[in-house]
Amino acid sequence: MYDIVIIGAGITGSSIARELSKYHVKIAVIDKASELPAGASRANSSMIHGGFDDKPGTVKAKFCVPGNKLWHKLKDILDVHLDECGSYVCAFNDDETKHLEELLQQGKANGSAGVEIISGDALREKEPNVSPEIVAALWSPEAGIINNFEAVNAMIESARINGADLFLETVATGLLIDDAGNVRGVSTNKGDFTAKIVINAGGVHSGEIASWAGDNSFKIIPTKGEYFLLDRATKGFIHSFLFSCPSKAGKGITVLQTAEGNLMSGPTATEQKDPEDRSTTPEGLAEVLKGAKRLVPNFPVNMNITTFAGVRANTESGDFEISALKSPRGFVNVAGIKSPGFTSAPAIAEYTADLLKEEFSDIVTFSPNEKFIPERCNIPRFLYMDMAGRKALAEKDSSYAQIVCRCETVTEGQVLEAIHRGARTVSAVKMMTRAGTGRCQGGFCCPRVAEILSRELGIPLDEITRHGGESKLLIGKTKEFLLKGAVSE
Amino acid sequence: MSERIDVLIIGAGPAGVAAGIGAKREGAERVVVIERDWDLGGILQQCIHPGFGLRTFKEELTGPEYMHRFIQQAHEAGVEFRTNTMVFQIDRENNTVWTMNKERGIESLNPSAIVLTMGCRERPLGAIRIPGTRPAGIYTAGTAQRFVNMEGYMPGKRAVILGSGDIGLIMARRMIWEGATVEGVYEVMSWPGGLRRNIAQCLDDYGIPFHLRTTVTRIHGNDRLEGVTVAQVDEHMTPIKGTERFVQCDTLLLAIGLIPENELSRMAGVDIHPVTGGPVVNDLLQTSNPAIFAAGNVVIVYDLVDNVSDEGLIAGANAARFAAGKITSAKRIPVNGGENVRLYSPQIVTGETDATIFMRVTHPIESACRVFAVTDNGTELYTQRLRYARPGEMNEVRINAVKLNESGNVSNITVDIQGVK
Repeated sequence: MYDIVIIGAGITGSSIARELSKYHVKIAVIDKASELPAGASRANSSMIHGGFDDKPGTVKAKFCVPGNKLWHKLKDILDVHLDECGSYVCAFNDDETKHLEELLQQGKANGSAGVEIISGDALREKEPNVSPEIVAALWSPEAGIINNFEAVNAMIESARINGADLFLETVATGLLIDDAGNVRGVSTNKGDFTAKIVINAGGVHSGEIASWAGDNSFKIIPTKGEYFLLDRATKGFIHSFLFSCPSKAGKGITVLQTAEGNLMSGPTATEQKDPEDRSTTPEGLAEVLKGAKRLVPNFPVNMNITTFAGVRANTESGDFEISALKSPRGFVNVAGIKSPGFTSAPAIAEYTADLLKEEFSDIVTFSPNEKFIPERCNIPRFLYMDMAGRKALAEKDSSYAQIVCRCETVTEGQVLEAIHRGARTVSAVKMMTRAGTGRCQGGFCCPRVAEILSRELGIPLDEITRHGGESKLLIGKTKEFLLKGAVSE
Repeated sequence: MSERIDVLIIGAGPAGVAAGIGAKREGAERVVVIERDWDLGGILQQCIHPGFGLRTFKEELTGPEYMHRFIQQAHEAGVEFRTNTMVFQIDRENNTVWTMNKERGIESLNPSAIVLTMGCRERPLGAIRIPGTRPAGIYTAGTAQRFVNMEGYMPGKRAVILGSGDIGLIMARRMIWEGATVEGVYEVMSWPGGLRRNIAQCLDDYGIPFHLRTTVTRIHGNDRLEGVTVAQVDEHMTPIKGTERFVQCDTLLLAIGLIPENELSRMAGVDIHPVTGGPVVNDLLQTSNPAIFAAGNVVIVYDLVDNVSDEGLIAGANAARFAAGKITSAKRIPVNGGENVRLYSPQIVTGETDATIFMRVTHPIESACRVFAVTDNGTELYTQRLRYARPGEMNEVRINAVKLNESGNVSNITVDIQGVK
């Protein structure tokens, strides 16, 4: 029996879980994925927005700037990599420059600190590789780029340290409602989770989940965004986050340097029916490349190491849907969270906790958890440590003196720690340690990570999966397979 | 204080083991080879098929057999090996090499000379940006080879092979031997990437279809690979509409090229050639940093391991000479690649030694042609007639030091392969 079940352990659900773990309430977070992050929190621009882009008065505008401020604090508390690099919106002509003025005013109204318009030349002094045709740019010094893999894992880990339970590979299949019209929990593929409050943080599935509660007031329009990710050797090609000037067609293609130093470009915005279709397309990738080259003419696409796509939970209104339903009582939507969702998440979490206290104090007691531990430490990042730190670590534990991933210099010690923290798949290790995110894309470390998983978990190597489900890496032993009677056609 | 090492070699594949032998033969006292794997031999450990060493030993050996002979010589010569040890940093100011392993922890070494023999790695899927999903079941051919030959596991039952590099061809046959189906090998170019003998022995002998000017245009399946779309391409490598075909498979093996592995070379600050992707070297196999030498696939990707071993011996010997103060400043005559030369190495000739320049043509020539080297003052240093020249098969020219030094004032040399009437 839980007090609260949160459906979805993306950045929204994880942040809410952590915020609620500041109270003496029993929390379960369920997610259908085998590793975190999985949905839109995994495949996005990893941007912590400055807060100038949202129309004053919208729900987004309410949360974006406060969320930004919280991340600048949380990065140290949660030990998350946040590059506080700022962002530029680039204008190519007078019309676009006029638009920058509007964004500037909007930013001021939203409380976005330090936003200003600079000349194209001033931009090129900071970012020599941008297009010579850019005439002006809106500078937002508070914007940043976060390691989104770390951030989601940090949030959920912090929630778990403070008592929340996480259930992966757990698919919500329906809502339990009693005769009086009160929420009684969630049914899943792993059985029922009873609870007095159910929070719908189901991302791209949040519309469907809301409909279980009879709420059809909003509809999710799954919107695919495709990206290029380049070799970390591109580090320094640009140093921040470059937006195109937003048009009717959307925010447009951006170019950025990830928190770890990879050059990246995207996203497209293609509406689709299937919320799970994360395939890249020739058209989408062509659009990204065109947009990237417009901002950065010498975009070194030959150093591409992977392409990927994420599906974001757009709503018809374009705004977040955050509310507690009157009926069934106990059902809360934190739905339609898309850009600037990652930025807003900690502020949304605070608001949601307040909302719960206000609406449901009669059914759940929210007494403060005096033992709440705000801090959490990331798995040691060997690549970024100084030599003295590396030596000390290797002396303390020799598994930190064995490299597993050569591209990102990830040690066996880090992989073991990820497994200790719950990693069960090759991708989970990747999310938690960056093993396999480099230029060889796991060619070298995938077999090694699989071997360590197999050894540590006591699972045969041919049972290890890439990302859960049916994604087994291998189909069996060699001769055994031959003897089973597989015959070449 | 760090220990005294004359020649430190990074990587104990065919180039590194040979470099160790070369350095000892030249009189170096302490020669240490660092290897990140638990055993010596590099990629040849997993190449259990025969076909190695025809030139060096006049017999057909498997990869492990070939390496065994060199490793034995290295042990006899007194080369020290340090396995399970990774070089993770080279400081360019003072050539300090940082290593780590479980027993010794993190150490810094300051050798008198370094030989880079890190080999190459396979181009991953991302490099060619195929649209679609990202399921399990997509491996580079070498990773799959490791699973099958070293771990004893099968990556899948029904494979498509993209690219016709040699490891892909070898793996096509290997999958068949293990009872799997190989639906076909798809090569985007108009010619094969690997050796003709491998096309014959690995594909033709087993009836595996080989499709030129065809590539994979889409990947299907969410958890495990369910299939790929293949299509023919036009002369601009653009897929031709209407030629798309869905091919059901659970495994996609990639043999789409090899990239010299030069992260450490870049850290060490040696000049990298923009086309080969390896260090710029002279015929002593010395890089732009005089104390650092390089040999084997880290410099340019070879077809035959015999050449890699030969180059390793040369680099090791010269590193030993450098450590002993016997190489000071050398003459530098740049080598230019002609019209039909895609890549070549070494790029600088000193005239101190006879030199072999290895190269690959850009476009195949399927008729009589000649490979040659000529100086800018018109002296023909080398010429040899060939029946054909193919990108998948390296060519070489030999430059005789005496002849070069007698050629008067030479400011550069051009190597090329051209058709003859």
